[in-house]
Amino acid sequence: MLLETKEITKSFGALTAVNGVCLAVEAGTLHSIIGPNGAGKTTLFNLLTGTFPPTSGRIIFDQRDITGTPANRIAHLGLARSYQRTTVFPAFSLFDNVWVAAFATGPSWKGLLWKSANTYAEVAGRARQALADVGLIDKSHQLAREISHGEQRQLELAIALAAAPRVLLLDEPAAGLSPEETRRMVALVRSLKGRYTIVLIEHKMDIIMSVSDRISVMHFGSLIAEGTPGEIQKNPDVRRAYLGGVAA
Amino acid sequence: MKQPIVLLLAAVVLLPFVVRPAIASEIWIFAIFGLGLNLLLGYTGLLSFGQSTFFGSAAYVAGWLLKHYGINTLLALGIGIGVGAASAAVVGYLCVQRSGLYFIMLTFALNQLFYFTAYQWTSVTGGEDGMPGVPRPAMLGIDFKDPLIYYAFVSALFLITLFLMKRIVESPLGKILQAIRENEVRAEAVGYNAPRFKLLAFVIGGAFSGLAGVLYAMLFGIVPLEAISFVFSGNVVFATLIGGSGSLYGPVIGSFVFIWLSESMSTVWARWPLLLGVAFVIVVLFLRGGVVEAWHKVSLRFFK
Repeated sequence: MLLETKEITKSFGALTAVNGVCLAVEAGTLHSIIGPNGAGKTTLFNLLTGTFPPTSGRIIFDQRDITGTPANRIAHLGLARSYQRTTVFPAFSLFDNVWVAAFATGPSWKGLLWKSANTYAEVAGRARQALADVGLIDKSHQLAREISHGEQRQLELAIALAAAPRVLLLDEPAAGLSPEETRRMVALVRSLKGRYTIVLIEHKMDIIMSVSDRISVMHFGSLIAEGTPGEIQKNPDVRRAYLGGVAA
Repeated sequence: MKQPIVLLLAAVVLLPFVVRPAIASEIWIFAIFGLGLNLLLGYTGLLSFGQSTFFGSAAYVAGWLLKHYGINTLLALGIGIGVGAASAAVVGYLCVQRSGLYFIMLTFALNQLFYFTAYQWTSVTGGEDGMPGVPRPAMLGIDFKDPLIYYAFVSALFLITLFLMKRIVESPLGKILQAIRENEVRAEAVGYNAPRFKLLAFVIGGAFSGLAGVLYAMLFGIVPLEAISFVFSGNVVFATLIGGSGSLYGPVIGSFVFIWLSESMSTVWARWPLLLGVAFVIVVLFLRGGVVEAWHKVSLRFFK
């Protein structure tokens, strides 16, 4: 297992947002986390990426205990995330958006204070590749605040890719997208499959069922089921909790 | 890109013929001070209301050593830079723990702490009377007592610091600081320790302030108590915003406008700060990019 949580719990006062979750993500797979609103999916992501430490439990990445590692160290370990609400650098060009992420995890910070930012060929190459991967290379000189919402979602993903991570944590990459944009995003996520280990949070069932290798279902902070898309579709607990009357 | 540099060199050469050399020197000294602030204000998005802490501390320490121990000019500048950076490291370390309004109030409160220390410690600082008798020792046989020669020295140092700041803001550090300004959460997530980078910006800005502080003390031969006061901290923020905090040259232009206005208007009209107030209101309401933005707008209209 590349990424594992062991009995991980996060409480905010009286509210237990994540309750004893044991998640195991195998290297090279696309593992989705689904669940109704407020099930604790994003909180689980925030725990995995060090936004805050868990109340109890452990996080193991590549056989290393990374529990309590702060957010700015997580990227250097090879975990990169995207956000449900677009979180980019608005006044930066698209290129600079990904450049900053590529530089952070680059081979060396030598010349940090005095070398021109244009002289890091490896970093620039990785930045361009990330933009090309999401299909934004033609707009690399536009400002992030001036592109459409759909493109900002693609940029959101490109920033995560630029870090050349081993694990990509994608928090609802298709949030707020039109059907057409959603189709493109699904194709994009599918194209990344195999190149990265991907953990995906998503609400749209068609996306989940078509791209996932494994699915974990969360409900009220707990994991209630795990399996292949086929198994999850047949699971009666999942139908009751998540799909409700619609799929039944 | 070449255009501002040519304009600046012309300004450096012509300025002492337009205003008194002492005022010309003061303009570039204040510009160095502003460049240091703008790394925080413009590039990192941190409003420090306590920059005179570093300026004044450096001026007092180096001025005192110049006065009582007769250290040479170069050593005095080195010590000033060191004191500026060190005091900024201490103040910055405390301030970067908080953000927003609390950050601003901390820079202000710590400035007041330094101010009242200088105010009370009269045996060293002279309190309200200031610390007079700061010499301008000759260096390599060059006599800095001549105002024009001291001006040449100050403007050379100013051009060097401007070049250094240009390198810094165009380096990866410059991009990282701006990324923190744009979105601190994401900057952390992609792998930057934001408080540590903010502290680095403080230390670099403090070093610039320290250099400016020593040059100021040597220029006027005195360290006035105002040099460490919040009014002085406010003035540099004021000047930088008027010039334009969004660009490298903004604080330089701001310093020029601020010092020139204050020196030329204060003799003819005691209420001259009113003019600055009006300029500030115009900048805040209509020209967030300051004089630099105004220049861009005008040049686009007439020269394109």
